Amino acid sequence: MKKLEFIYEDGAHKWAVVARDPAKPSHLIDTNEYLVLNGGEALLADPGGMEIFSAVFSAISAEIDPYTIRHLFASHQDPDVISSLALWLDFNPDLKCHLSWLWGSFIPHFGGTADTFVAIPDEGATISLGGLMLDAIPAHYLHSSGNFNLYDRKARILFSGDVGAALLPPEESGLYVENFDRHIRHSRDFHRRWMGSNKAKLSWCERVSRLDIDMLCPQHGAIYRGEDVKRFINWFADLDVGSGIRD
Amino acid sequence: MDIMNDIEPISSLHRVVKANEDIKKVIRISSGVNLVALNAMLIAKRSGERSRGFAVVSSELRLFSRNLDAAMTGLGELIFSLVRDAAAMQRQRQQHSHFMAVMSINKSMRKWVEPPLARVEARMGSIEEEISRDWHKLRLQLNRVLQLCESGRSLSRSAKIEAVYGGDMSTTLKQVANQIEETVDEIFSTLKLLRMQLAE
Repeated sequence: MKKLEFIYEDGAHKWAVVARDPAKPSHLIDTNEYLVLNGGEALLADPGGMEIFSAVFSAISAEIDPYTIRHLFASHQDPDVISSLALWLDFNPDLKCHLSWLWGSFIPHFGGTADTFVAIPDEGATISLGGLMLDAIPAHYLHSSGNFNLYDRKARILFSGDVGAALLPPEESGLYVENFDRHIRHSRDFHRRWMGSNKAKLSWCERVSRLDIDMLCPQHGAIYRGEDVKRFINWFADLDVGSGIRD
Repeated sequence: MDIMNDIEPISSLHRVVKANEDIKKVIRISSGVNLVALNAMLIAKRSGERSRGFAVVSSELRLFSRNLDAAMTGLGELIFSLVRDAAAMQRQRQQHSHFMAVMSINKSMRKWVEPPLARVEARMGSIEEEISRDWHKLRLQLNRVLQLCESGRSLSRSAKIEAVYGGDMSTTLKQVANQIEETVDEIFSTLKLLRMQLAE
């Protein structure tokens, strides 16, 4: 069963993750869903696929009142990111979904009306959550052509979507990266195949390396902390991406 | 629309969330019972032989708190089943409305759409039954928790009586006994309110 765990707390300002699920059917990719709370409001980043809606909803409801969720943030358009949209909107039709303008007419195929979506321009935007400013950081072509990360400069947390993802074996189920060298083996093939542009990758590495980041939180796999954040950015900068097709 | 004040159908996620919020409230209060009982045990220990009866009641109260925790965990598991089924019902409703929309556009589609529509309706029927069973189980479990709370109330009354024999610690013990009574009463009234809502 999925469980909500707090990874940052400063009064009413909190980050929580609904982390990987050992009970999930093996044919579904495992995902992390992140909840940012501030001033009595919450934003759910990459709410997940339709198949795991009940597990995510239960995990969140066990800890917080789900009516406090006012915003959804979709890093990109994939089904494991946002296909649960219609179920969330059934629960609360007033939810706002922030996503790249590029997917503005595609994502509504999962549900929602014209009022549901807040389009993020290519250069990024700021999302206000109970007075806290969250930055949508461009991460285009990593892997989606309209792709954003979410940065909380106060908590020094970057939700990085598919960047930093790892497809971990069941025995490596820890919430955080504990051994970078061992962990990164599970990231290499994923990044080589799913990330399509070395130019976009270097631009991201250059911009993100200038941010203060204590935690880099991917949608799949474990969270990077402290020095491992810098290690990951350097490792990614050196990796030849768009090259992962198996012979 | 104030969704919280309307009576929701049993398959509604809002109804499950409302019940869950009350259950979470009881879990929060019941963790207080454990602390109050622990405090009572420590005070009774300091008071010595005179408050031996109070110490016994406090120890029973800790046991009550543990049993209450276990019972509330059972309620939480039923809530998880209800969320799963309510979400499944939402998906079936969406599929149902899509098929109905196809039929309304073109009646000649009926022969193609009716079989899958019938399958969706059959699934909706079985999910509805499952949800009814879950709510029934939730009500039964709630009644068991209320019975458990009755024993908690008896313990809190006993604590008040035993506090009288606490000699020079009597005033402190009475204060603790009152704290116990207030906490157990708060749990009891929240659960009764929840039972009333579930009966609607």
